[in-house]
Amino acid sequence: MPKLIIDDITVEVAEGVTVLEAAQSVDIPIPHFCWHPALGKAGACRVCAVKLLDGPIKGIQMSCMLPAQDGMVVSTVDPEAVAMRQQVIEWLMINHPHDCPVCDEGGQCQLQDYTIACGHGLRRYDGKKRTHLNQDLGPNIEHEMNRCIQCYRCARFYQEFAGGTDFGVMGSASRVYFGRFEDGELQSPFSGNLVDICPTGVFTDKTARFRARYWDFDMAPSICPECSLGCNTTPVARYRELLKISARHNDAVNGWFICDRGRFADKKVNSFDRPRVPLVNGSSSGWGDAVDAVAKKAAEFAPGSIAVVASSRLANEGAALLPDLARALSGAKLCFFSNEVICRASITAASQITPHMAASLDDVASADCIVIYECDLRQEAPMMLLAVRQAWRKGAPVFLVGKGAPLEQAAAVSVEAVDLDIIVEAPIGIFDRPVIIFSTMRSSAAEIKNLMAAEAKFAPLFDGPNGMGMAKLAAANSTISLESAVKSGLIKGIITIECVIADELRGEIPIIAALDWQMNSSVKNAGVFLPTTAWVEMNGTFVNNEGRAQQFKKVMAPGIPVSATLESGHPPRIHSLDVPGGEPKPAWEVITEIMKRL
Amino acid sequence: MTPDLILIAVTAAKIAIVLFAILTLAAYLVFAERRVLGWIQDRKGPNRVGPFGLLQPLADLIKLLTKEDFRPPAGDKWLFYLAPAMAAIPAIMTFAIIPFGAPVTLFGTEIAMQVIDLNVGLLLFMALSSIAVYGVALGGWASNSKYALLGSIRGLAQLISYELSMGLSLVPIIMLARSLKLSEIVNAQSGCWFIVYQPLAFLIFLISILAECKRIPFDLPEAEGELVAGFHTEYSGMRFGLFFVGEYINIIVLGGLATTFFLGGWHGPVLPPVVWFTMKTLSFAFFFIWLRGTAPRLRYDQLMQLGWKVLTPLALVNILVTAWWLVLKG
Amino acid sequence: MTIFTDIKAILLGLWTTWKHMLRRPVTIQYPEEKRQPSPRYRARIVLTRDPDGGERCVACYLCSAACPVDCISMQSGERENGRRFAVWFRINFSRCIFCGLCAEACPTLAIQMTPDYEICKRDIMDLLYEKEDLLIDGCGKDESYNFYQHAGIGVAQRRGEGAEEKAPVDVRGLVP
Ligand code: SF4
Ligand code: SF4
Ligand code: SF4
Ligand code: SF4
Repeated sequence: MPKLIIDDITVEVAEGVTVLEAAQSVDIPIPHFCWHPALGKAGACRVCAVKLLDGPIKGIQMSCMLPAQDGMVVSTVDPEAVAMRQQVIEWLMINHPHDCPVCDEGGQCQLQDYTIACGHGLRRYDGKKRTHLNQDLGPNIEHEMNRCIQCYRCARFYQEFAGGTDFGVMGSASRVYFGRFEDGELQSPFSGNLVDICPTGVFTDKTARFRARYWDFDMAPSICPECSLGCNTTPVARYRELLKISARHNDAVNGWFICDRGRFADKKVNSFDRPRVPLVNGSSSGWGDAVDAVAKKAAEFAPGSIAVVASSRLANEGAALLPDLARALSGAKLCFFSNEVICRASITAASQITPHMAASLDDVASADCIVIYECDLRQEAPMMLLAVRQAWRKGAPVFLVGKGAPLEQAAAVSVEAVDLDIIVEAPIGIFDRPVIIFSTMRSSAAEIKNLMAAEAKFAPLFDGPNGMGMAKLAAANSTISLESAVKSGLIKGIITIECVIADELRGEIPIIAALDWQMNSSVKNAGVFLPTTAWVEMNGTFVNNEGRAQQFKKVMAPGIPVSATLESGHPPRIHSLDVPGGEPKPAWEVITEIMKRL
Repeated sequence: MTPDLILIAVTAAKIAIVLFAILTLAAYLVFAERRVLGWIQDRKGPNRVGPFGLLQPLADLIKLLTKEDFRPPAGDKWLFYLAPAMAAIPAIMTFAIIPFGAPVTLFGTEIAMQVIDLNVGLLLFMALSSIAVYGVALGGWASNSKYALLGSIRGLAQLISYELSMGLSLVPIIMLARSLKLSEIVNAQSGCWFIVYQPLAFLIFLISILAECKRIPFDLPEAEGELVAGFHTEYSGMRFGLFFVGEYINIIVLGGLATTFFLGGWHGPVLPPVVWFTMKTLSFAFFFIWLRGTAPRLRYDQLMQLGWKVLTPLALVNILVTAWWLVLKG
Repeated sequence: MTIFTDIKAILLGLWTTWKHMLRRPVTIQYPEEKRQPSPRYRARIVLTRDPDGGERCVACYLCSAACPVDCISMQSGERENGRRFAVWFRINFSRCIFCGLCAEACPTLAIQMTPDYEICKRDIMDLLYEKEDLLIDGCGKDESYNFYQHAGIGVAQRRGEGAEEKAPVDVRGLVP
């Protein structure tokens, strides 16, 4: 284990760790653009210069390229190193446009930060600046090539890390250009990460273009609700409007990145037709009256003839209360899943899996064999695909088993996969750390039981962000699927909790009450509607596919976006503590209210 | 009409005139103070209401009357209401004994220019000035506020200390005039003012009355820099106004007494006696204002030292010297 | 003896204040008499336009970030021609302390202070100035600056035609 001294602090690090990381491990910051924890080194930006005062190597060196060695004496504050960094920044700024005020990166820009930190203030070069033409990269990503500082992070991420093929570097010398061969939407399902990874403002989020500055953001740690993987995110809101979503670092789950689905999904939270006030028979009412109406209507039903239906969109806090609600409704049927097959599959997967059998995304990325069983990760768990690629880059073979596992998913991340018809063809037994990925939406309970007999780790996929949580609760309480409940003929009324029910399934059964934050058919047909908060408007917990309970925090208060309340062009001039459209409450709170009246 | 009725009528008229005069003077003294302080600070002072700002006191009155009358809920209600009156009334009453002009003869009766000429006038003054202490003490106590309480404790200590030197400085006057009657003290000075015989007593008396009316440099009970507004911190509206106006009435009354004791009262050539009296009294008031624009506030220990270690012993020595001198003179 | 120096100090003080009493007051009788503030005086804030008549403000949020009392709020947006602009822009003059930090922070010289210090309203809501109240027809103190000509991102002119720019690079060219 090499032991070195950095700025008078002795550091001992593992073999192969760079001086830059060694310094970071003792909280000594060294500026860097091209080095990235997930992408490693490139030695392209030259801004991490340090001076080695003593030891096997001496003089100015790039700390990100230099493996730590025994006896090194490193100075980050040596005048020569400081001058070097300052001059490098000055070169980088020679061609950089003068447009921070109109750049969405401004305020959260590494180039800005290091320019200031390295002490470059006045432009001395008075020649002209190099310019580039921008490309139209589709509806999500804005391209402004003039701001590029040639750190190669984007190309390395896109091609090496994410296996994209339609984006890369062109040109030579000072003309290097990062883009596609011709205009067009980026094809990789992970292209949005260019926004996070570019240290300057070349790639910015078009969906939130020119909306707010970093220092005005309402932000909180959150969880992506788009699939069951539970990637960590940081949603950004401003003036009661969800603006964008960026990746949050969590090595055990998503690492540094998220997929485009999670990042650019429709912002239904802001939606104009989102129902925000309690409705009784279609007309708006106060909370008290609406909850009373639910209690009154429910009392008209015979014991055991109501079904309480939830979906895996519901956070654990609300889900955990549902058995109590069912009891309070004099023995209502509890349905956590609508479809019978999915219900059984989910419960089987959730009750069979043990913590050491569950594979996290990190386990997938470090597996030595991957089996994707009858599922299309592009749809069901995109970030799983990125993890699969990392395993494949390290040499793990990837087997796609069954008709439900198309080869195109491997092609999307440039992975060469083996297509098999049946699971027994996969030589799982010869590997140390195999991972089998399957989906509870595609495989039956029997298949899953069969699969899970193998010596491997498993990555089940569920139908929603809290799929595992709901399945666990479903197993622990006597629940049935809505499908079988309806078939039994006993159900005469339904209460939905953040859940859409297919009209064919429901038939003539009336919806007594619906709790939700989105507009959908259940809300439209409900006798009473009670608005709940979306995940960014509350604190809560989702249990992801591997059984990891993760908290998400309130990012913004519920309310009609200020941009939708403008009066003759500006926000209203009223003082009020009430937020317009601020009625929604977290589902667990609404459920408690209902239980109090029963 | 019986002589008694005439006496009552005349006295009532005198009371009315005196009351009116003092209250008006006090109000205009406030105005004058603001103007003079303004000049001292190279400003103009209030000059907006009426010609030269002369209606300013009226505006102040209306303002004070229309302000919210607030009482700290935790305080002592009745004491709180009583205190401002206790501060203002003794000051006004003291004026009853001050002769403000030579006696005039009207319809054959001699009318003293004095509400009442008590034979223990000087003692009454001392008694009333002791009662005035209650205004400060009760005001601070009843407010149930730390600033007010601190202010009133300071006020109590200060007033009691300086009353002593004030009283002692007046003893030589009694000895010279051989009377406690104020009219006789004035008459004793028809030849030569007592200030000539008793410059030291005058100085002690002057300093003591400055402290008695809590004026800079002796404004420790109010000390706005330290205690917000001292003993009347919690008062608002006209109750505060009473404290405020009481202070100015006090200035006039004590100025009038200083005139009576040392500057020959209403005596003076050419001009009518009332005018002389008024001029002398107001010159004291002017001096007070002038000093306010000049001097900084004393520290509490300095205040106590000056009172007990300097003024009181000096006054005692002065009494002895005067007595010795009177004995020698026979 | 200290007593004499003390007395002297008091008398000297009285003499000084006496002298001042007789001096001419320095008071200016506003509103009858008015002072002419210097052009750099920091009072009512305006939003200016560039020499070509375009709104200078690009709604960059720097002024609102610099404002120590948080009295500027705005929403940025994009026009069809690519210019970033303030959809709405509000200064609450009942809160503004006229420190001038906003004008100092502004990278486009849009927000400027004027010498108009008479901003007094009966209704406090009238002190809420919206963009149309703030925007003036003119350049204010700087006659020539046009941010977009120097920005280098081709908004007011074609890319590569701005003040300090070379023509766009041909990325497919092979010449070294
Ligand atoms: S990338 Fe950073 S430095 Fe460049 S214009 Fe944007 S904010 Fe400024
Ligand atoms: S576009 Fe951004 S990430 Fe890519 S090389 Fe340029 S600065 Fe680096
Ligand atoms: S002058 Fe100061 S207080 Fe007023 S808007 Fe500008 S920064 Fe804010
Ligand atoms: S700093 Fe200038 S350009 Fe930026 S928002 Fe304020 S006024 Fe507009």
